[in-house]
Amino acid sequence: MIDPTHNQLFSSAEAPFGDVVLSSRARLARNLDGFPFVNKSSGDDCAEVTELLRKASIEVEDGISLDWIPIDELDELRAQLFVERHLVSSKLINNQYPRAVAIGKELIRSVMVNEEDHIRIQCIRPGLQLSAVFDDVYDLDKRLNESISYAFHKDLGYLTACPTNLGTGARFSVMVHLPGLKIVKDLGRIQNACKAMSLAIRGFQGEGSKALGDIYQVSNQVTLGYTEEELLSLIADQFLPPVIDWERKARMHIIETNAAELDDRIYRAIGTIKTARLLSLEEAMQCLGHIRLGIATNRINDIDINLVNQSFINIQPAHVKWHSDSQLPETDIPKVRCELIRELLHL
Amino acid sequence: MTTCDLCDKPAIYHDVRIVNNVPNTVHLCKEHAIEAGIDIAQSDFSVVLKIQEQSKSPIKSCPDCGMTIPDYKKATLLGCPTCYETFSGELDGVIKRVQNNKSEHIGSCPNQLGESTQRELLIRNLLKELNEAVQTEAYEKAAVIRDQIKTLHEQKDD
Repeated sequence: MIDPTHNQLFSSAEAPFGDVVLSSRARLARNLDGFPFVNKSSGDDCAEVTELLRKASIEVEDGISLDWIPIDELDELRAQLFVERHLVSSKLINNQYPRAVAIGKELIRSVMVNEEDHIRIQCIRPGLQLSAVFDDVYDLDKRLNESISYAFHKDLGYLTACPTNLGTGARFSVMVHLPGLKIVKDLGRIQNACKAMSLAIRGFQGEGSKALGDIYQVSNQVTLGYTEEELLSLIADQFLPPVIDWERKARMHIIETNAAELDDRIYRAIGTIKTARLLSLEEAMQCLGHIRLGIATNRINDIDINLVNQSFINIQPAHVKWHSDSQLPETDIPKVRCELIRELLHL
Repeated sequence: MTTCDLCDKPAIYHDVRIVNNVPNTVHLCKEHAIEAGIDIAQSDFSVVLKIQEQSKSPIKSCPDCGMTIPDYKKATLLGCPTCYETFSGELDGVIKRVQNNKSEHIGSCPNQLGESTQRELLIRNLLKELNEAVQTEAYEKAAVIRDQIKTLHEQKDD
């Protein structure tokens, strides 16, 4: 069985542009030819699609090891761990009909079956690695397509349940850490850049979520009329270079003009984590964000940035339960989170 | 604001009827009301009668999955691949709006496509590359792409 607390994904220190870009993700939406989309499918249709995908996933094996997990066989805590790691969506977990996920052992790749579309292939890697994650999902896509026919239209491309995913069905996204721009109150620049490039900007946990820890998720909105390479390039070559530059300059500006205030934020965050007895997710994420900023700007050097990256995920509610007690009452999570975060950061 | 059952515009005609004890509503924008043959200059009562007349013919539904446009508007999801053919007229505006006015796929395609469709998509991709090469004054590259397109067109004619 997969170890849901595998931490390779969060080694941004060694990854390209890891000081600003936490992770890169690519996902492809596909549907099987000859079947209704999931929202109009019967239980039998869903079971048939699931079985076809199970067989196809086994055939994929060469070089890629995928664990096939029917969602109904997944206990609630493990399901939430995968949601918190963005390997499956809450929608997939909450759907009622037969559905499954195939997850790579290294927790980088996953294939959701019967989410909004029959197939959602995705891959996440640390830092700016959009080309690598695209190669990963494209490879899986082609391998699945050897035994499965996809619904496709010559003008509309890959047909998806929602018209917002038509064409390539490809969504690229990056998690960026922008505490510098937040402090200098210049996040409007990012929003304007996103608007001008038809990119969506969201919080840490996706649509409708807050930017906990000053972490933002940016992704392409348009999927039709551009090649996958163009969509990837829009984020990797057009959006990110100026954003990384702005964020680094904002950090430098703060050091030059108000280092004491910056240090105050960083050391208050460390102090809070060292001494707090109750930590909400929001406060803990904010502290981690400031500590990460301190490491990235060399104001502190005795905490490993990869441990901070891992902590962003490991202090989420299901992870707190996983590390302590699966029956832990919700009300005890803030208390246990304090102990866990100190342990994770060796504080 | 209530929107038209057939598009996203505000509805200006509203009809509520009870059929077999079930309330049935029709909302139409000005354009679709006219398209449905409703004389917008007539009184409200005759408009309702006309809508009733129109609605006697069943609302268009997908032959494969039974999806209707009101269903789609509620779920914001289509029911099956055939829905895109069935509702092509209604979806055209929606697709252009959410896809930045784009309506033609370029990029990768599945391996099950017939030779002629594959060729058509390849030509479409190459035309875009040709356009970009000309815009950046990469004329040598443009000439190579032009020859590739010509060869593909010749294969088409064979």
